[in-house]
Amino acid sequence: MNVIEISRLAKYYRRSRGIEDITLNVPQGDIFGFIGPNGAGKSTTIRILLNLIFPTSGNASVFGLDVVRDSWKIRKRLGYVPSDANLYDRMTVMEFLKFGAAFYGAENNHERIHHLLELFDLDPGRKIPELSMGNKKKVSIIQAMVHRPELLILDEPTSGLDPLIQSRFFDLLHEENRNGTTVFFSSHTLSEVQVFCKTVGIVKEGKIVNVEEIASLRKKQLKKVRILFPVERNIADFGMDGIGPVESGRGKNLVFFYSGDINALIGRLSVEQIDNLSIEEPPLEEIFLHYYQ
Amino acid sequence: MEMRRNLRSLVIWSAIIGLLIFFTMSFFRSVLQYQQQIAGMVQLIPAMALKMRGFSNINDLFSVIGFYTANNLIYMMLLGSIFAIVLSSNILLKEEYGKTAEYLMSRPVTRREIFTTKMTLAFLNIILLNLMATLIGFISIMVYKKGSFSIHPFLVISFYTLLLNLVFGALGLFISVLMKRARPITSFCVALVMVLYFLYTISRMSGVDGTFGYLSPFKWVNVDVLSPSYGIEFGRTLAFLGTTLLLILASGLLYRRKDILT
Repeated sequence: MNVIEISRLAKYYRRSRGIEDITLNVPQGDIFGFIGPNGAGKSTTIRILLNLIFPTSGNASVFGLDVVRDSWKIRKRLGYVPSDANLYDRMTVMEFLKFGAAFYGAENNHERIHHLLELFDLDPGRKIPELSMGNKKKVSIIQAMVHRPELLILDEPTSGLDPLIQSRFFDLLHEENRNGTTVFFSSHTLSEVQVFCKTVGIVKEGKIVNVEEIASLRKKQLKKVRILFPVERNIADFGMDGIGPVESGRGKNLVFFYSGDINALIGRLSVEQIDNLSIEEPPLEEIFLHYYQ
Repeated sequence: MEMRRNLRSLVIWSAIIGLLIFFTMSFFRSVLQYQQQIAGMVQLIPAMALKMRGFSNINDLFSVIGFYTANNLIYMMLLGSIFAIVLSSNILLKEEYGKTAEYLMSRPVTRREIFTTKMTLAFLNIILLNLMATLIGFISIMVYKKGSFSIHPFLVISFYTLLLNLVFGALGLFISVLMKRARPITSFCVALVMVLYFLYTISRMSGVDGTFGYLSPFKWVNVDVLSPSYGIEFGRTLAFLGTTLLLILASGLLYRRKDILT
């Protein structure tokens, strides 16, 4: 069963593009990384899921419920960490957390609140305006988790968190995930998606360019090929599909990415005179760059 | 929480308006004391200027309710309307430009609940300000009056003032939901009240009840408190309540479909 289903979703702000064509499904129990550069449309997609903004066209549902028609019912079952932690001031941390939890009837869940406060090393008596950005982010994370939501939507949740707290945060998310929580994790930081997410959706210029499991993305997609020829060659002479992007396309040393059938490549190279050949799995970062280019 | 956030503003506005009313009413006995001299001086003032000031007749000045209406109503009509429009225009919008809307609207609350709660709180504040001002006005009249005083016109004019403030409350709400990009609109709202008050003043000065004057809700208030037939008129009440309800309804519908861009 899919917790999130998005089909051909588009949002335009007058003439400017928010998102153009987003289609993706997030299965229950997944940790889904939603990755793309700034301005790609990650936050716009999330805002539509939360019904903060209305789609221009397309459909989106969460828990099988329409995000426009049934937004209230959806929000009852999810927790959301926005990219900017803008909290109500004139409250202490504890007052704010209880205020937020009261929307879900979880304001008396003292054990859970104190557990999370301890985990994030946060003083419940501090006033919100006195908190640093990092500590505000912690409060924002805790408020999203107090009521044990079925779905967590996280928009750049680790910005402002120190490495130790980031590590604790990821451990907590894994624990929540083991207990059945689905996680939708928006980020532009490749390393955290790589270590944390099971599946990744890559968004570029308002469109989904690929949805893939992290493991299979690493394994079967892109290979980095280095060939050393005894004489100068031009990669265009090979006339093969699946080549690109090219790092070095002319000369004795050709370096390029290959995303086609590896047997076809080997077959083609078998008729060539070559001095050396290496085919390697590129770092994840290079795979993402391939999609962005 | 919202009530607590607005409490300080309500107290400050009530105190300012209350003090102004009390201070102005403290001159009433002096006016009576120098009634003849003042009447002689006022005869030199052009009738148009008197009308602009709110006097239809010089004798208005020598009755406590006439004095109260001519001098103090401006505080509640103008300042009360500014309070109402500023409060209601910000009550939804400040969540957006303060960037807390994202937090609030990701909770399991419907937009209708948010709108209704915020609107109710804004209107409650407007009603409380009017109650405070009316109470202070009544006390100041009782303190400074000489002779008899009929409470009926006082209550009627206070009722009209409340209706006026509610219209501006609804107008502020309406303007705020029209805003695509959230930013404070206090200056615009204050300017709008001033323009409408200016329009009302001009229409009074001209002495002609032309239709253009009725573009301003200030004109809908019947300030002729010394008229024997003075009372709550159905047409005026309908205009106030109808406009208020229409603006609220339109605001609610627009808010339900508004993109919250923080």
